Amino acid sequence: MAVHIVLDAADVPEGGHAVVELQGREIGIYRIGGHYYALNNYCPHQGAPMCAGYVSGTTMPSDVYEYEYAKKGEIIRCPWHGWEFDIKTGKSLFSDKVRVKSYEVRVTDGKIGIVLGK
Amino acid sequence: MTESFKVIDADVHNEQDDAALVPYLPEPWRSRVAKSGIGMAGSGYYSPVGVMKKDAIPPGGGKAGSDPDLMVKQLVERYDLEYAILTGVIYNISATHDPDFAAAICSAYNDFLIAEWLGKHRAFKGAMAVSTLDPVLAAREIDRIGGHPDIVEVIISSAARSPLGHRYYHPIYEAAERNGLPVAIHPGAEGAGSSTAPTSVGYPARYIEWHTNLSQTFMAHLVSIVTEGVFVKYPGLRLVLVEGGIAWLPPLMWRLDKNYKALRSTVPWLTKMPSEYIRDHCFLTTQPIEEPDNPQHLIDLFNMFDAENIILYSSDYPHWDFDAPDMILRRLKPEARRKIFYENAKKLYNL
Repeated sequence: MAVHIVLDAADVPEGGHAVVELQGREIGIYRIGGHYYALNNYCPHQGAPMCAGYVSGTTMPSDVYEYEYAKKGEIIRCPWHGWEFDIKTGKSLFSDKVRVKSYEVRVTDGKIGIVLGK
Repeated sequence: MTESFKVIDADVHNEQDDAALVPYLPEPWRSRVAKSGIGMAGSGYYSPVGVMKKDAIPPGGGKAGSDPDLMVKQLVERYDLEYAILTGVIYNISATHDPDFAAAICSAYNDFLIAEWLGKHRAFKGAMAVSTLDPVLAAREIDRIGGHPDIVEVIISSAARSPLGHRYYHPIYEAAERNGLPVAIHPGAEGAGSSTAPTSVGYPARYIEWHTNLSQTFMAHLVSIVTEGVFVKYPGLRLVLVEGGIAWLPPLMWRLDKNYKALRSTVPWLTKMPSEYIRDHCFLTTQPIEEPDNPQHLIDLFNMFDAENIILYSSDYPHWDFDAPDMILRRLKPEARRKIFYENAKKLYNL
C-alpha cells in the first residue's frame, strides 16, 4: 500500500472534480460535502472517459408512479451510454456486480492522497 | 486481447447548424431557413442521457459531430478507421410535412456534405439524403448527386407515413439501383410530425419504450419491402437496415417463411423463400448491439442466420449509444470479425 499525493485539497472545488494521472491511470477526484472520492476515469462497459459524464442526483427505487429524487451531486452518468454510478462507492445503480473502480482517498495537511495497492 | 484488423464504420453522424445549409438553399427556402431554421419534427420523447455522447462536443463549441477535425481525432484515428460512412441526420426531414421543402433541404444538405465534409479526410464517404415525402423528387436527387465518387449510399428515414415496400416509394429504389447505390434506412423521428406511431400499439409514455421498440418499425418495413416484391423489381438493389437492432431477424425470417408456404399465392412474384431475399439483398448494422448477460447467446443467435455475411459494424458516433469497435463482438471468430468490421462494407460500398 502506498499513498500518492496528487493535489492540494483546494484544487477541487465543492461539487467539482479534477482528473489526475497516477502510474499510467487517469483518476477523477470528486468533492462532495467536504469529502473526497476517487474514481477510475474508465467506464467498465466500453471504456468511456467516465469523468466527462454529468454529475447529478437521481430517482431512487420507489413505488410505481412515485419519484424520489435523491443523492443530489453524488451520481455520475457515463458520457457515452448513460450508465449511472454512485461517486461515493463506484457502484452502478442497476447491478451489484457492475462498478467503476474506486480508490481510497486520504487528506492530510491539506493534501489529497490516493491509496494504491493493498 | 483481440487481433487488430481494419475497420469500416457504416453509421457516423456528422452534424451542422441549420444556418450552415442556408448558402446551399435556393429561394424561397433560403429566407425561410435563415429566419426560422429547418424546423425538424421531434418525436417528443425525453432521455436523461441526451442524444449526444458528452465527450464529443467540440472544445470550441458547436454540436457534437459538427467538427471534422475532432471526428478524425476521436473516431477515425483513435480506432484506425479506413472509412467512415457519414450518414448525417437530415433524413429525419421526412417526418415533416412539405414535400418541396423537404426535398430542398436534402439537396442543400447533399451539396453541403460534398463541399464541406467529403474532401476533408480520405476516410469520409457520404450517404446522400432524400426525403420520402415525394419519391419522384427523391429519384431526381439521386440522379443528380448519386454519381459523385464519394457518395456511396442513399439514406432515408424509417419514420414514414406507410410501410416502405409500398409501390409509392419504388422510384427511390429504382433510382438507387440505377446509380448502383445501396439504400439505408435509419430511425430517429419515429412518432414525429407526419410519421406513423412509433410502436404497433401507438404512443408509449417514455423514451426507454420508444427506443426499445424501434425494432418494430424495422420489422414492419422489412416484411413490406420483401413481400411487395421490391427485390424482384430491382434485383440489383441492396438495403441497409441501420440502427434497428439485429436479434429480431432470425425469428422474423422463420415466421415469414412459414407463412409463405401457405400464403405464397398472395405474393406470387416471390419465387424463393422470403428469407432468401433478405439474405441476398439486406445488410444490418451492429449498433446498438444487443448485450445479453451471457455473450454466448448473441453468438448462438448469429449462428441462426448468415450473420457474418450480412452484418456491418457501425459506431453511431457521436450519439449516446456509441459502440467502440474494440469493445463489441469480441468473442466472434476472427474470420467473422474481419467480415463484419471490414470486408462486408468494403464489398457493399465498392471501397
